[in-house]
Order: sequence, then C-alpha cells, then structure tokens
Amino acid sequence: MSTTKSVIRSIKNVANGYSSVQVMVRNATSNDPTGPTTAQMADVANHTYESGEFLEVMDMVDRRLNDKGKNWRHVAKSLTLLDYLVRFGSEDVVLWAKENLYIIKTLREFQVNDLTGTDQGAIIRVKAKELTSLLRDDERLNQERELARQKMID
Amino acid sequence: MLGFGNRSDSDIQTSLKKACSSDEVAPKRKHVRACILYTWDHKSSREFWHVLKLLPIQSDEVQLFKALIVIHKVLQEGHPSCLIGGYKNISWIESIGRFSASSGLKGYGPLIKEYVFYVIQKLHFHHDHRGFNGMFEYEEYVSLRAVSDPNEGFESILDLLSLQDSLDGVQRVIFSSVQRNRDSECIISALVPLIAESYGIYKFLISMLRAMYRSSQSDDVIAPLKDKFDVQHRRLYDFYADCSTIKYLSTLVSIPKIPPTPPSLMVDSNEPNT
Repeated sequence: MSTTKSVIRSIKNVANGYSSVQVMVRNATSNDPTGPTTAQMADVANHTYESGEFLEVMDMVDRRLNDKGKNWRHVAKSLTLLDYLVRFGSEDVVLWAKENLYIIKTLREFQVNDLTGTDQGAIIRVKAKELTSLLRDDERLNQERELARQKMID
Repeated sequence: MLGFGNRSDSDIQTSLKKACSSDEVAPKRKHVRACILYTWDHKSSREFWHVLKLLPIQSDEVQLFKALIVIHKVLQEGHPSCLIGGYKNISWIESIGRFSASSGLKGYGPLIKEYVFYVIQKLHFHHDHRGFNGMFEYEEYVSLRAVSDPNEGFESILDLLSLQDSLDGVQRVIFSSVQRNRDSECIISALVPLIAESYGIYKFLISMLRAMYRSSQSDDVIAPLKDKFDVQHRRLYDFYADCSTIKYLSTLVSIPKIPPTPPSLMVDSNEPNT
C-alpha cells in the first residue's frame, strides 16, 4: 500500500514541478504513519539558510499546515517540522512564524475524527499550543536557539 | 513573495455558508478557521461582514445562533480590524436579537437574545478600551497604563467587571437549555469562546486590581471593586467546574483551573499569578 502511495507521490512531485527542497518537505510531512526523522528535518533546516529556498520551504509548510482534516498527519507533521525549524533553522523562520502566528494559533482548536471515531486532533492541538507559547516567549526562544546551536557544533 | 495560493483564493462566501448551515451541530472548525485566516490574509474584515449580512439566515434560529458563534470566534481570533468592523455593524447584530422567542420551536430565542447582548457589550468595550485584543490575551502594558492613570484604571476595571457579568448571564442561559436535551453539541459549542474569554478577563482583573492596590493610597476606594471581584470569582469557579463535566468541552479546550477561594490582591507582583 504505502509503496504505491510513495510512487504516486513521486509522480506528483514531478507533475506539479516542485523543487528538490519542496520535495524534501513533502516527504517529511507525508501521510506515512512514521516520521519525520531528525535527519529529514535537519536537511530542511539547512536549506532555510539559502534565501531563495527559504521561501519555497515556507510555502510548502504553509500549504501542509492548512491541509484538510483527512490529512491530519500533514498538519501534525508540519507542526513538528516547523517547531524544529524555529529552533534549528535560520532567523527568517522565526520571523515568518511570528508574522504568521495566526495560522498556528488557530490550529489550537483543530478537530478531526478518523474512521473509527477516535479523536486525532488532540496531538495537533497540543503541538499548536506548545509552538504558540514558544513563539510568544522571546527569552525562551533565544535560549532554545542557543542550545540548538551548541548541539549543532558538537 | 511566493503565492500562498490555496488560502488567499479561498472563498469566504462558501466558508461562511457552511459554518452557518442549518444542521443543529457545532459550526465546523475548519470553516470558522477559514474565515479567521481570511481576515488576516486580507488585513480587513469588510468582506466577512458584507457576505455575512447577505446570508439568508434571518428566519432560522439555529443558523442565527451559529452565526453568532462564528462572529464571536472571528472577533476573538481574527485580525484586529474585525473589532472595528463589528462596531460599525452593531445595528445589524442587534437586528439578529430581535428574533422573537415565540417564532422558534427549538428554544433558541432566549439564547440568541442573551448572546447578542453580550457580543454588543463586548464590541462597545473594545471600542472604548483599545489596548485589549479580542481574546483578552495578557498584555502587561495595559495594567501599567492603568497605574499611571488611576481614574482610567478604575473605569476599565468597572467595565471589565460588567462584561464578565453579562458573560456569566450567557453561560447560565446556555447551561439551562443544555439540561433539557443532553447532546446539544450546537449549544455547548458556544461555551468554547466563552471559556477562553472569561479566563482572559479574569487574568486582567487580577493584574489590574493588584496594580491599583499598589499605587493607590486608600484601599476604601477599591473595596467595592474587590467585593464584586470576589463574587465573580466564585461564579467563575462554578462555571469551570460545570464545563469540565462535559466531555466534548474538556477534550477540545483546556479548561482553566482557578483556586476555590479568591486570590489575595495585595501581594507583590513577584508572586506567581494564579
């Protein structure tokens, strides 16, 4: 099943003309039940330091964040990715996230039930709450980014 | 800037129509969210109010009630211009309230009336006190300004107290209608914005009252405000307790926990806020 899906995804990547960074973001935030892996997120984070690619990354993250309920994994994973980028990505990511805080804030009430009726929105609500409070707290954000920098040097 | 295509083109008319459908369920969050994002993307609420006023909902009590919930959410979470747009449309919102209790069979009449009263009072409050955002999220500078001008502070607190009073009124009407039929998700969903708002107001009242106590010489002046605050604290405690018994609510939003007894208002600002 998942191999067919990943084949379809690679066709879509070509058909829609996504750049290689955007494909990277799409793979990291796909509907696969696992991931995104730290390696995937680190790859994306490195690309946010390139000014042209930064916008491509954020454009894709923005689309994933606003995906419909059926694709709740896209939303959950892109929140995970964005949280990582805010810590490890370029300063531009922080500016983007603050500028577009309302996109994240409004996800704090995300609702979705899967076919079995279980509430899958809870994970998104928690992630959105956590990320919102991080972005509001400049002091903590600077600390986290400092910590991340040290981790990258090690 | 790359085009954030999917969203900018999203049709606010469709979102509003779907959010205010005649089904007796909660307004779908995804459509409400689309309206909120629209106001931020366009930095204006004109289109929102314009489309809303053209929706044929005036004859259906369920649709009117859902429209009020949507309005409340957009005022809270939308672009700041929504509050100004809302103030300009007060007379239209008032016209919703004229939906008479006798013409509705499902008993939304009193709910609509009370909710309209509250929303209008909220709009007046934001018009008179510009420092507050729609959700009453904590901003320290407002309490600082209150200290520098005690008269203004006194008035802000008084207005906040009376807003909290009408919020309590809506909450009571909602709970009394919920008791008649248990699984009325539509009515219960109106509590979601009320919970967040009442807590925001509560936090403001605490910090402003504390600031007043620190700055003013005589406590007698503030005593009547404090008495009123204590009464409201107890009612709020009961309100949150009632809310936490409803499963739909407690999974969706985090219901604030406040101590059973009113917090002391004469402590240092260093003490952690409760």
